[in-house]
Amino acid sequence: MHSSKLNYYLFAVVALLLASCTKERLIGYDVEQANVIEDKSRKSKQKNDAEFISILYTNLYQTAISPNQLYKTQNVVYSIGDQDVANEMLLSNYFNTSGITIPKDVDMRTNIEDFIIATFKRFYLRYPSEGEKAFFKQYISNNSSVTVEMVYTAFACSEEYQYY
Amino acid sequence: MNRKNFITKSGLALGGGLLAPYILPSGRLFAKTGTVKADHVVLVMFAGGVRQQESVLGRYLEDSQGVSGAAGNIMSNLFEGNAPVKKIAYGTSVAGKPNGSEPIPKLLTQSLEKSGLLFPEMRAQSAGHYVGLNTLLTGNPGTNQGLKVRPTYPTIFEYLRKHAGFKATDTWFIGNGIGNSTPLLNSSNHKDYGLSYGGNMFAAPVTFSSYGKEILGNAKTYTKTDLEPMYFMKNFLDQSFALSKDQMTSISNTDEEKTQIKDFIKSVFAKQQAGQLPMPPVTDNGDAINVMYAAEVLREFKPKMLAVNISGVDSCHSNFTGYLQSLHRADHITGWLWQYIQNNIPAMSGNTIFIVAPECGRNLTPNPILDQNDWVAYDHSDANALRVWGLMAGKGVPNIRIGGEAQPVGRLTDIVPTIADIFGVLDDVNNSGLIDPMARSLYQRI
Repeated sequence: MHSSKLNYYLFAVVALLLASCTKERLIGYDVEQANVIEDKSRKSKQKNDAEFISILYTNLYQTAISPNQLYKTQNVVYSIGDQDVANEMLLSNYFNTSGITIPKDVDMRTNIEDFIIATFKRFYLRYPSEGEKAFFKQYISNNSSVTVEMVYTAFACSEEYQYY
Repeated sequence: MNRKNFITKSGLALGGGLLAPYILPSGRLFAKTGTVKADHVVLVMFAGGVRQQESVLGRYLEDSQGVSGAAGNIMSNLFEGNAPVKKIAYGTSVAGKPNGSEPIPKLLTQSLEKSGLLFPEMRAQSAGHYVGLNTLLTGNPGTNQGLKVRPTYPTIFEYLRKHAGFKATDTWFIGNGIGNSTPLLNSSNHKDYGLSYGGNMFAAPVTFSSYGKEILGNAKTYTKTDLEPMYFMKNFLDQSFALSKDQMTSISNTDEEKTQIKDFIKSVFAKQQAGQLPMPPVTDNGDAINVMYAAEVLREFKPKMLAVNISGVDSCHSNFTGYLQSLHRADHITGWLWQYIQNNIPAMSGNTIFIVAPECGRNLTPNPILDQNDWVAYDHSDANALRVWGLMAGKGVPNIRIGGEAQPVGRLTDIVPTIADIFGVLDDVNNSGLIDPMARSLYQRI
């Protein structure tokens, strides 16, 4: 009886030892290799005249420009040496027409941050960096004369908008 | 501060203080050394391919069509000589009379030849239009110049902006359309010059066309207060997307210059509407319209250097009568432009040098195409197409005729060094090593 009890305890101890000994698994946590770049630096191709005009028109009117209108606009823009002047006048002409789809100034001022994010997405197809967001938030807040038209003009005439 | 530091810093401050006044807007340290001969230059690129025979030689139909006794001068504002008396077809058309039988009256009291410097027999370096226009503006033969690309070598606009410190609105090219790569002539793509030194440009008949008005004419007039925030925000955005020099695709003006150009465009549309644009008495072709806009640019900007091109005479490929009419009108509008500067732009009157030259000539032998008068037509590809003339008039230009048919003097590549000479930067242009080694200022050819 005594020996069978001893055997039982020995068996239990051995079983416990065997059960508790598992092969050690080495688990390592690593970071996947990724190139960290800014969205804007991916834009290396310049829009040609037709692309720029077509994209701008669609952006503002939310409808495609007609081929005839595109052809005429291309020619006129090409006929001016300073392309900034040509584009600024083209844009200003658009702002002076009915039918463009842009937010109201009051909506911009109601939620400036949302407006900034939406504007970056609309023109640059990307989110603003924190620095860009802070700049525009502060500038629009501190300057009550700044309108949506002014902000849109700055974006549409900017160099990044010439690229994709 | 110890003694050594004090001496170093005070020396630097003194040196900087002495040099600062001599740094020009162009970034150059020393002012140009040559004598400035005039404050303004207007170059008429009398293009399209002009035969010596019907222009400076005054042969009218005698050489070209073999009509005996039909010689005569049809360019009375530019050259001396009696008009033809036979088979008059180069003028305007009056009801009841044959087409073109009414010559346009001479505008200038004295022809440019009589008041200026004529090189009646110069040599073009190419018989092609675009290369010829390039030669007139770059001073380089441009033998490797392709179409649809900017000039390979720097233009006179770039030389003047870089070496004479001119601002963008001091230099203008007025093109007569957007075909044949014309709008690319305001700047080269040369790495040491290029768009950052390019001239302003309008392909005026397109910019100010009816659809130009539709696309630009309704633009808002922003005040300075409106523009400042726009440019401030744009500049912020551009700072983080800086383009390298070779990525630039347009010349650039200052914000003030841009505003002036935009206001000018709007003012032209307004004058069009009101019928207030000054124009040559006979304005019945594209060349006349282009020169009319060139005059308007001169009046507004009073540029140091303006080049305007015309090309109506190129109809000579298939219509000799049309060519004669265009040649006669080209003379008329060139005379008008000179007269307009003298009479209507006081800041330029008496202080401008006017230069006129074709970009190439035309053939000696005709092609077989006959026009409505059964007159043969001429292309431009043989040795006769390299025969051209050059004319200068204005401030301090001597009244001399240099060379002749048997004694050619001057090359079309001379035009750029001549303009550089007028503005006192001839050495800079020569030292660039980018112009024809055989080119000389026309003043040096005298």
